[in-house]
Amino acid sequence: MKKKLLDAVINKKKENVAFAIITNLENGEGCIFEKGKPLDKNFIKFEKNINLYFDKKKNGIIDGTNIFVETYFLPIKVFIVGAVHIAQYLVSFANTLNFEISIIDPRGYFASEKRFPGINIINKWPKEAFEELKPDKDSALIALTHDPKIDDPALQYAIDKKFFYIGALGSKKTHENRCDRLKKSGYTDEQIKKIFGPIGIKLGGKAAPEIALSIISQLVSEVYKKT
Amino acid sequence: MKNSFDEKILDEASDWLKAKQTVILATVIQTWGSSPRPVGSHMIINDKGDFSGSVTGGCVETAVVRESLKIIKQNIPFKKIEFKVSNENAWEVGLACGGEVAIFLEHIN
Repeated sequence: MKKKLLDAVINKKKENVAFAIITNLENGEGCIFEKGKPLDKNFIKFEKNINLYFDKKKNGIIDGTNIFVETYFLPIKVFIVGAVHIAQYLVSFANTLNFEISIIDPRGYFASEKRFPGINIINKWPKEAFEELKPDKDSALIALTHDPKIDDPALQYAIDKKFFYIGALGSKKTHENRCDRLKKSGYTDEQIKKIFGPIGIKLGGKAAPEIALSIISQLVSEVYKKT
Repeated sequence: MKNSFDEKILDEASDWLKAKQTVILATVIQTWGSSPRPVGSHMIINDKGDFSGSVTGGCVETAVVRESLKIIKQNIPFKKIEFKVSNENAWEVGLACGGEVAIFLEHIN
């Protein structure tokens, strides 16, 4: 790999776009592939297959060739509502697991840069924040405030947009009340059942990092669940 | 669904180059059977034999380092190497799990 190509790859990663590195294993030449952009002429005859691999987010050697495709797609977006103590541990787990985190909390004293250095913090009410961020269905919501006026609008938004994972912190009782409120707002049982509540898999721990671990474990298992 | 699994090895390679080190990039390009790391996994090796990342679960990394040092010394730009179950040739390594793996080694320069 040429250093020039490596530099280009590092820059592409910073740009937050999906791309692929294409390598000819026979001569060591390589290039960057980006959907819809002109491809290096040395690789043009493999363009159709490169696109196929890219669309499937697949890495590998294209059958019958010496062309290796390595795709770089964007991480899954995880929205945490509530810049609480558990969120601080979630952030550190999510970084290693390569999720892209945003924290939404209208309470400025919680969601401060000091408490969450380097994290995308949105000091707005969930509805307003989501309208600005425009998440797609490959997104996850972790609602942690257990304050209905903050959590509920976020949960409603995630249900409407069919997020692949929706979880809400709180006891069984808190969750029952939450479900009742959602029902009164016109949501069906089937929609409400999509919410993991109480959030997380059963690990038994009560400390903030343990709860964070149980939440992130559930999130990962939902990512890889066969559908 | 899939999550992107960028272990940031290429970013680290870039840092090593900035520190004026010679860097070999090892990439898993093909696997058969139960090889521990997926295709696209990376490991980098410098001229001192330091390494970061992985291409298996520790089964063949030593051999990959040795092979990398050899291609640095001989100034070979790239090379494909394969490891099989109970590989009885020079390395005395192999994948105990019964898998096979092909790795592409390339000089970053």
